[in-house]
Amino acid sequence: MIKNTEELIHNLSSDLSPVRPLRSPLIRSALWVGILLPYTGLAIVVTALLIKRPIATLDRAFAIEQIFALATGIAAAMAAFASVIPGRSRSYLLWPVFPLAGWLGTLGESCLAAPPPAVTGHNLSCFPFIIFLGTAPAIILWKMLRRGAPLTPHMTAGLGALAAAGVGNFCVRMVHQEDVTLMLLVWHVGGVFLLAFLSSMAGRYLLKWRSPESAVD
Amino acid sequence: MEGGKREDPLAELMSRSQAGDATAYAELLKETARILRRAIHGWRTGLTDEDIEDLIQEILLAVHNVRATYDPSRPFMPWLLAIAHNRFVDGARRYARRGAREVPVDEQNVTLKEPFANTIEETFGESEALQRAIEELPSSQRAAIEMLKLQEMSLKEASEASEASGISIGALKVATHRAMNALRKLVKKR
Repeated sequence: MIKNTEELIHNLSSDLSPVRPLRSPLIRSALWVGILLPYTGLAIVVTALLIKRPIATLDRAFAIEQIFALATGIAAAMAAFASVIPGRSRSYLLWPVFPLAGWLGTLGESCLAAPPPAVTGHNLSCFPFIIFLGTAPAIILWKMLRRGAPLTPHMTAGLGALAAAGVGNFCVRMVHQEDVTLMLLVWHVGGVFLLAFLSSMAGRYLLKWRSPESAVD
Repeated sequence: MEGGKREDPLAELMSRSQAGDATAYAELLKETARILRRAIHGWRTGLTDEDIEDLIQEILLAVHNVRATYDPSRPFMPWLLAIAHNRFVDGARRYARRGAREVPVDEQNVTLKEPFANTIEETFGESEALQRAIEELPSSQRAAIEMLKLQEMSLKEASEASEASGISIGALKVATHRAMNALRKLVKKR
């Protein structure tokens, strides 16, 4: 620790470099989505080739499900961006609730109408794809979130993972347009939530206050 | 929001600081330190003045690190207090852990029951003589004594410090025990 506060203030102010204030969570989320658009398109095509399945045709019910799924991811990203800004009210936690409810609602409705559940190898194989396709969105989001203040690292990491896995799931569903069964619900939605939970647990390791040395260097 | 900014001198200073104005930044940090000092004293935390200064410095460093997160169109104090509260909670947790490990005692002159123990103090009180005896120890024992007794490292810290040479905590314990026995013998000889 620096010897006294006056000395610290002198060190910090004498080497001050200008910084651009972070943009609002809405704009940062839009930026994140913008970066991911080409990636998402490519990921869908590559995944379709890898698992040898056609890309989904957007019938009405499926399109609504996918819109809600993507909206959940984007709203979670916005909430994660808001959570690293000091002094904001916690109302941002509500942002993903509405699209999430819509997503679960559309899946639940299809699930009730579907035949009895069965564990299939295909459903199981989707989970690693969600992780794989969610990795790039997660890394970009993590880099962006690290520019903020890690006030609530567990919550921020959980929301970030929900956003990234949401995008990953969106890509996988584009080549996995099956009737929604309970098992599909478990492996897709459950997988997304599992990843969010695990990331949340690791929040303190993923998002740390930067070291004091870096501030005075 | 321009009007709001004019009414908030700290917001104005922060805004200028973000643009790279070092004078405004120094002024802002001084004022922030003053506010924090008053606030932390007011919270009656039971922290010593030194701990409070450490905490203030930690908050100032955090403010510096995340100064880009401040939105100039918003008031400054909620932003600052959110950071201060976060760092304060972490700091309080750390001080509580430290407090649980340490028991403050007054330094007193003690005459020990065993005559031998007092003899060490009398005959081996000179640091040069003790240093010579330590230098006679094998290198691993000398390193253990230097780290654990002279530099007052914990076993874990000493093990981490000697990570390159691969000394485990167990090996450090053994080396220290042997070193103490060897020093005791050297003392007896003299």
